[in-house]
Amino acid sequence: MQPTISELVNEDASLISRRCWSDEGVYALEKRGIFGKSWLFLGHESQVPNAGDFVQAYMCETPVILSRGEDGALYANVNSCTHRGLPVCRADHGNTRRFICPYHNWSYAVDGSLVTIPQESEVANRPDKSKLGLKRVPRVESWRGMVFGSFDEEIISLESYLGDMRYYLDAFFLRFPEGIEFVGAPHRWVLDANWKLPVENQLGDVNHGAFLHSAIIPREAQDIIEELGHSVVTAPGHGATFRLMPQDAPWQDVAWGMEAMGAILGGNEVQEYLREVQAHAAERVGELRARFKGLTFGVYPNLSFLWSNTSFKVSHPRGPGKVEYWSWAVVPADAPESIKKILRTNYSSFFGPAGLLEQEDSEVWTQQYIGSNIDFADDRPYYYGLGLGEEKPHPQFPGLVSVTANEFYARHFFLRWRDELMAAEAGL
Amino acid sequence: MTDQAIATSPEEQRALERFYYYEARLLDSRQYQDWLALLTEDVRYSMPSRVNVQVDNRERGKQQMLSVARELEGPEGSGNPLRDESYVHLMLRVERAYKINSWSENPPARTRRMVGNVELMARRDDEWDVLSNFQLFYARPGSRDVIYSGQRNDTLRVAEGGYRIARREVVLDYAEIEKPTLGLLF
Repeated sequence: MQPTISELVNEDASLISRRCWSDEGVYALEKRGIFGKSWLFLGHESQVPNAGDFVQAYMCETPVILSRGEDGALYANVNSCTHRGLPVCRADHGNTRRFICPYHNWSYAVDGSLVTIPQESEVANRPDKSKLGLKRVPRVESWRGMVFGSFDEEIISLESYLGDMRYYLDAFFLRFPEGIEFVGAPHRWVLDANWKLPVENQLGDVNHGAFLHSAIIPREAQDIIEELGHSVVTAPGHGATFRLMPQDAPWQDVAWGMEAMGAILGGNEVQEYLREVQAHAAERVGELRARFKGLTFGVYPNLSFLWSNTSFKVSHPRGPGKVEYWSWAVVPADAPESIKKILRTNYSSFFGPAGLLEQEDSEVWTQQYIGSNIDFADDRPYYYGLGLGEEKPHPQFPGLVSVTANEFYARHFFLRWRDELMAAEAGL
Repeated sequence: MTDQAIATSPEEQRALERFYYYEARLLDSRQYQDWLALLTEDVRYSMPSRVNVQVDNRERGKQQMLSVARELEGPEGSGNPLRDESYVHLMLRVERAYKINSWSENPPARTRRMVGNVELMARRDDEWDVLSNFQLFYARPGSRDVIYSGQRNDTLRVAEGGYRIARREVVLDYAEIEKPTLGLLF
């Protein structure tokens, strides 16, 4: 029987039903109520700098082409021919003048408009091509080069949607005079897990680090998180965690990038570069944010950013029990090529499908899905109550703030999730 | 590297194959410390990522259109390889295997690999370039069984007492990865 959403998440979201993670009916509501109504991350402008450039993306399970049109504007179109539904683009990225369906060679401009129907000259009534373009994603907006799309024509602006998350993301983006760029194609891998657990993991769950990953992460790292760590929720579903380093901390302990493998093994050149970035951090992001040593960041519903290993990730659902996880290494756009090649390993050493740490994460995400399907345990919902009610406004930072062990980031996510699914359930 | 394998004596060919069989047996019997001793300390171990590339119309009809190299984002390029590792990375992976809190390997996975198509491609003083193919069966408790398929592009250093792996590029036969991990020792 289809569960009612109000029964799955209790009043304060301290109890989360196993069905939230495993039920087909719940997933159908998520598609409509969340993925049909949110801003979803599509790509970074650095991936499509020139007219005709394109990259593939997904909005939930919907395949989308993000492209730069001849007019220089960004477009997102569903990758499916209006004639018989085939994908019109098979390459992961590239540059083209036309997307051509293999079946009957209907061809589309990079902005998605239909250009030719090879068979139309043979019929008397010619179809109106202006109405037969690819299905366009109605809203596409970008902020700091990050491009998002939404199927909801009425959605608030991207900047309003991000709200105070911009303050925390800017602590990273604005450190670099030319901003950041995404390196190469995303790593994409399919896991037998529910899409929300990778999201939760990167939204604020830094307290699994020294436990699940204790074969690699030393206890001292956890001590520092407990001493200096802050967890922030700027709006339900958006969150950030970071260590606020002391004013007199040596630069090596504060600088972005220094705690990851590329910098540790990369030698003087890369360390000197990172020192230089940190030396200008206060003038670029202010004294307070210059002392941020970030951990996890999340933008509702499924975009994550990992500061320490400099990776953006998107958790694309493929049903309740499968996820296609995409991740990119990210580097400062103005760094020399040799340094970019070193900094990209800050990501790949520990994260991605081969990452030393992430192989543990993907294991537990898979195991949690098995647990979420157990029969006769519906009266044992998952406990999300750690730190209940302990988050508070902060004199210096926007949002609600608490210690990182407080699971409020997840509770707030599920409160928003519950509201949006109940609206979808009611047919709104 | 040219397309053709270079001439080897039967003894040389047999010695190379014996080395790879020994290496495979060490890995499948989880003697990872012994495997580490087969590497040079300046080893570079990489795994390019693989993408579905756009067909370039100007390359239609040419061999280059089908080139595998076009699909790879390797360590020398500006893309994002899946792995680009040094001895330290591999040492961490090996050390991790001996810890009971390495949860994705506890209980440990069962592996069995077939290594074949061993071809000596080039000889430079004490360094030899050698290609080999592998099929690796991987069974992890509580998970589905998977097969990994790929090619290894090695540079072996010929030292007294045998070969040492100085460079290994692992080319997997996938763009989308439906495997629980690519963090194995291939």
